[in-house]
Amino acid sequence: MSDAAREFEQKLRVESPAREAWRMFISNNSAIVGLAIFTLIILTTFVGPLVYTIDPFELVWAPLTPPGEEGWLLGTDYLGRDLVAGLLIGGQSTLAVGAAAAIITITIGITVGALAGYYRGWVDEALMRVTEFFQVLPPLLLAMVLVMLFEPSLTTIAFAIGVVSWTSAARLTRAEFMRIRELEYVKAARSISASNARIIWRVILPNAAPPLIVSAALSVGTAILFEAGLSFLGLSDANVMSWGKLIGDNRPAILAAWWPVTFPGIAIFLTVLAVSLIGDGLNDALNPKLRRR
Amino acid sequence: MTSFSKIARATAAAALVLGMAWQAQAAEPKKGGTLTLLTSQVPRHFNPAVQSGTATGRPGTQIFATLLRFDEGWEPQPYLAESWSWSDDNLSMTVKLRAGARFHDGHPITSKDVRFSIETVKANHPFKTMFGAVESVETPDDLTAVIKLSQPHPALELAMSSALLPIIPEHIYAKLEEGQSAKNHPMNATPVGSGPFKFVEYKQGEYIVLERNDDYFLPGLPYLDRIVYKIVRDSSQRVITMEQGEADFYTEVESINIRRLEKADNLIVSDHGGEAIGPITWLAFNTKRAPFDNPKVRQAIAYAVDRNFIIKALQRGVSKAATGPIAPSSPFYSADVETYDIDLDKANALLDEAGLKPNGDGIRLAASIDYLPALPEQQKNIAEYLKPQLKKIGIDLTVRNAPDFPTWAKRVSGHDFDMTMDLVFNWGDPVIGVHRTYICDNIIKGVIWSNTQQYCNPKVDAALEMAGKEPDLAKRKALYAEFQKTVAQDLPIYWLDVVPYTHVHSKKLVNPPLGIWADMHPLDKVGFAE
Amino acid sequence: MHIASVLIRRLLNAVGLLAAVLVLCFTLIHLAPGDPAEVIAGEMGGATQEMMAEIRAQYGLDQPFHVQLFSYLGNVAQGDLGFSFYFDRPVTELIIDRLGATLLLVVSALLLAIFLGTFLGVVAARNPNGLISHFVTVLALFGYAAPVFWTAIILLILFASVIPIFPASGGMYDITGPDDPLSRILDIAHHMVLPVITLSTIYLAFYSRLARASMLDVLGSDYIRTARAKGLAEVVVVYKHALRNAVLPVVTFAGLQFAQLMSGAVLVEAVYSWPGLGTLAFESLLRRDTPTLLGILFFSSMVVIVANLLTDIAYRLIDPRIRSGAK
Repeated sequence: MSDAAREFEQKLRVESPAREAWRMFISNNSAIVGLAIFTLIILTTFVGPLVYTIDPFELVWAPLTPPGEEGWLLGTDYLGRDLVAGLLIGGQSTLAVGAAAAIITITIGITVGALAGYYRGWVDEALMRVTEFFQVLPPLLLAMVLVMLFEPSLTTIAFAIGVVSWTSAARLTRAEFMRIRELEYVKAARSISASNARIIWRVILPNAAPPLIVSAALSVGTAILFEAGLSFLGLSDANVMSWGKLIGDNRPAILAAWWPVTFPGIAIFLTVLAVSLIGDGLNDALNPKLRRR
Repeated sequence: MTSFSKIARATAAAALVLGMAWQAQAAEPKKGGTLTLLTSQVPRHFNPAVQSGTATGRPGTQIFATLLRFDEGWEPQPYLAESWSWSDDNLSMTVKLRAGARFHDGHPITSKDVRFSIETVKANHPFKTMFGAVESVETPDDLTAVIKLSQPHPALELAMSSALLPIIPEHIYAKLEEGQSAKNHPMNATPVGSGPFKFVEYKQGEYIVLERNDDYFLPGLPYLDRIVYKIVRDSSQRVITMEQGEADFYTEVESINIRRLEKADNLIVSDHGGEAIGPITWLAFNTKRAPFDNPKVRQAIAYAVDRNFIIKALQRGVSKAATGPIAPSSPFYSADVETYDIDLDKANALLDEAGLKPNGDGIRLAASIDYLPALPEQQKNIAEYLKPQLKKIGIDLTVRNAPDFPTWAKRVSGHDFDMTMDLVFNWGDPVIGVHRTYICDNIIKGVIWSNTQQYCNPKVDAALEMAGKEPDLAKRKALYAEFQKTVAQDLPIYWLDVVPYTHVHSKKLVNPPLGIWADMHPLDKVGFAE
Repeated sequence: MHIASVLIRRLLNAVGLLAAVLVLCFTLIHLAPGDPAEVIAGEMGGATQEMMAEIRAQYGLDQPFHVQLFSYLGNVAQGDLGFSFYFDRPVTELIIDRLGATLLLVVSALLLAIFLGTFLGVVAARNPNGLISHFVTVLALFGYAAPVFWTAIILLILFASVIPIFPASGGMYDITGPDDPLSRILDIAHHMVLPVITLSTIYLAFYSRLARASMLDVLGSDYIRTARAKGLAEVVVVYKHALRNAVLPVVTFAGLQFAQLMSGAVLVEAVYSWPGLGTLAFESLLRRDTPTLLGILFFSSMVVIVANLLTDIAYRLIDPRIRSGAK
C-alpha cells in the first residue's frame, strides 16, 4: 500500500471521544505546561517533606533572615521558622483544602443542578430559590461567618468554602441536564421506563460530564484563592501550616521582609495558574464548539 | 500635694529631666496649621466619661478638659482647677476652679458640673476603684468643689487627669428623655466640652476633625487650627503614610516597623511618653484547672519560656522585660522577685516532681493556649513560639484560634481555657489597673479582665487593701513590694514584657505629646515650627 | 414573555429571598460565640457585671432568640433597619455613608474589567495563535491566579512607597486638602486608581477569555461569512456585528458577579483603607454588631438582585431570539 493510501486509511479510522479528547488535550501547549507545573507542585509538596525533614513549626534561626543567608534557601519567617519547610508542608494543607472544597462544591452543585434540571417543575423552582439565595450573598462574608461559628480549622474552612461556591456548578449542571434530557436517547430511555436514578446516573451524567469536569478543575483554583483570602483576614488554622497562613501571618512585616509573603504568593499563583491552564485545556478538548480554530 | 506625687517625681527624675530638657529645646510654635494623627481604632463616640479606652480617649481629651493635667512628669499641673488642697486627715480634697471658663456652647463651668462629672464617671466607668472611695462632692460656691472620701485615696489626683475624669456639661446630660442615660446620650457623638478643640465632624471609620476653640480658658492657646485623626487599619500602611509625610504623629508598637521608621529622614522616633499607661503582656494560667492548679507546673512552664529570646529576637530588643504585675516605669515597681530565667533542666525537674511523667513519645501533657487577637507581635507570635518551645519539656501545645475579640473574651471570662496570652494596662496607679487581676472577690465569671485566673490568696488581698489607702509613700511601696514578691512566687501569671509604645512624629512638630499620657492629653501646646 | 410580568414575578421572588437572607444570617450570627457586650467591655479595658448586663438589656440581647428575631424582622418590614450596637446610630445612616464608596469601587472595577478585557479578548481573537494572544492569556491569568490582597499589597508598596505617585494613607480623599467640588472629584479619582485596578484584575481574565471565545465563535459563523460576502469593510464586520453578539454573554455574567465582587472588595478595601461597606461588614462581624452586618447583607443582596434584573432585561432586549418569544 502506498503512503498516501495508508494516510487516508488512518484518517478514516473512527476515534472514541475519550481518545479524541485526550489527543486534543495533549496537543494543547498551555495545557501541557499547566499539567507539568501541577505535577511538579504535587510531587514537591508530598514527596519533598520525606526528604527535607525540617519541622515547619520549629524555630531554626533568627526571625526574618533574608533568603540565601546562613544556608536558609528562602529565608525564615517572622518567628524564625524555615520558609522552605513552610512551603512544602503548607502546600499539602493548601492543596488538601482546595481539593476537599472542590469536591464539596461539585457534589452539592451536581446534586442540586441534576435534580433541578431533570425533574423540572416545583423541584426546579424550589432548588433554584435555594441557589439564588446562595448566589446573592457575598461568598467571603458568608464563609467568614461560618468559619467563625465553627472555629477555624482545616475542616471548617474547606466546608465553608465548599458551601459558598457551589452555585455556578449547580447552574451549569442544571443547564446541561435540561439540554440533554430532551435528546433522543434519553427520551428513549424514559419510554422504556428506566428508573429515574438510572437515567440520571448512567445516561445523562456521563454526557453532562465534560463541562462539569472543567468546572471541578477550576474550582480547585478558586478554593485555594479563597483559603488564602480567609487566612489574610485572620481565619486560618493556627496549628496547621498553609500558604495562606504564611501570607496572613507575615503580612505585618512586609515592609521589612518581602520574602515570607512573596514566596507563598508565588506558590499560590503557580498552582492556580496550572489548574486554570489544565481547566482551559480540558475545556478545549471536551467542548466541541471551540474545536473550530 | 500628696506624698505619691512627691516621691513619684523623685523616682521618675530621669523622665522629668528628659522632659524638661526637651521643653528647653523647643522654640515656640507658630500659630496655625493642621495636625494629622494616625490611629488604628474606630471610636464608638467621644465621651470618655462613659467609655474608656484610647479610641475615645484621644479625641476625648481634646474636646473635654479635666481638673488636673500631668505633662512630662508625675507632677500634677493646674488645668480647669486653678488650685487644690488636701485636709490633714487626707479624707477631703478642695478644688478651686478657674474663673471664666466656659463650655463650647458658652455656658460657664461651675462646681456643679464637677460634681455631676464625678458622679457620672463613678456610675459608668468600668474601673470602680477610681472613684469608689468618693462619698460625696459638696459645692459651697460656683467655683469650689469639696470631694469627701471614705478612706484615703492617693490615686485621686491621677484619676483627675487625661481621659479619666472629663468635666462634662450637666446642663446637657441632665436632660434625659425616655430610655436615655449618659451612656447612650445622642450628644456623645457630637460632644460639647471645654477643651482646646471643638468637635467638627466624624466620618465613621475614616477620620475625625476637630477645630480650634477660640474661647479656650488658657490664653494664647491652642496653637493649631485643626486636628485630624485619620483611621488607618493596616500597620504597614501607617508606616508608609508617616514616611510620605501624610501624617504628623502616631504610636507604633510593632518592633519591625519601629526599626524601619528610625531610618526615615523626616521623622523622630521616641520611646519616652506614655509612662502612665503601663501595658504588660503576660502568660496567664487557669489556676483552678488541673494540672495548672499546681504551682510547680506553672513555675516549670515559666522556666521553659525564654523571656530574653522573646524580647531580643521576636521583638528586636525594642520592648522591656516585665517581671511582675507592676510596670517598671511605675514608682511602685520592685525588682526583688523571682524572675524564672530560662532553665530547661529545672523545668523538667519540676514537672517530674509534679507527677507529670513523659510517655513513650516524650509527652507529659497536652495543653492549649489562647491569645488576644490584636497586636500579633505581643500575642499570637508568642503563643506560636511557645508551641515548639514547650515541646522541649514535653508539653504538646495546641494554639487555639481566636478570629476575633468576643470569641476570645467569652472563653477567657468563662474560665474555659488552660493558658492564655493577655495584655492588661496598669493605668497609672496600681489601685486603678493592677488590683483587679489578683483580688479574690474580683473572680467574676463572664467579665473579661476580672481575675480570670481565679487566683485567690488572702495574704495578697490584705496587702493590696492596705496599700490602696496608705497615704505614706514609703509604707505604700513596701506593701506593694511584698505583694509583688508573693505573686511572683504563686505565679498565677507569668509576666513577659512591657508593650513598647513608641511615638513617631514629624521633625516639624514642636512640643510633641510625649508626656506620661502621650497623646491622651490636651494638645494645646503642640504646634509646628516656622 | 411580557417584561412587566417578569418584573412582578422577580420582585416577589426578591422579597422572599431577602427575608430568607435575613433570617439565616440573624441565626448564624446569633450562634457565634460572644456578643456586643463583650466587645464594648473589651474596648473599655474591662467592665463590671452590672455594666455588661445593662448593655445587654439596652440592646435587647437578654431576650429569647425568637423574640429578638421577630422584633428585628418586624422592624425591617416597616423600613427600620435598626440601630448599630456599636455606634448607637441608625444602620441606614451608616450604610448610606459608605454605600457610595463601595459602589464606586465595584462598578468601576467591573467596567474596567469588561472594557479592557473585551478589548484584549477581541485583539487576541483576531490572531488566535499569535504572540499577542498568548501574552493576553498570560497577563489575564496572572490577575486571576494571584490572590487579590497580595496584588493589592504589592501595588500599594510599589506605587505609594517605592514610586510614590499614589496616596499612601488610603481612604477616598484627603480631608486636609481643598474641598471645592472639582478638586474633590480629582482627589477621589487619584485615590481610586490603585483599588480599582486591583479589584478589576480578578475578572480581567474572565472577560478577555469570554470575549475571545465569543469572537472566535462568531467570526467563524455563517452570519459573519454573509456579512463579509456583502463586501462590508472588515473593520466594520468585526467590531460592529461580531462584537454586538459577543456582548451578550458578557452582560449575562456581569450581573451574576456582583456578589463575588463585593467579596473581593472586602479584601481590597482592607488593604487600601477604602471606606466602603466591605470593611464595615467585616468589622461588624468582629464586633457582633448584628444590625449593621445584616443591614449590609440586605443592601448588597438587593444590589445583586437589581443588577441581575437589569441584566436580565438587557439580555432580553439585546438578544433578538428571545425577544421574538421563542424560549
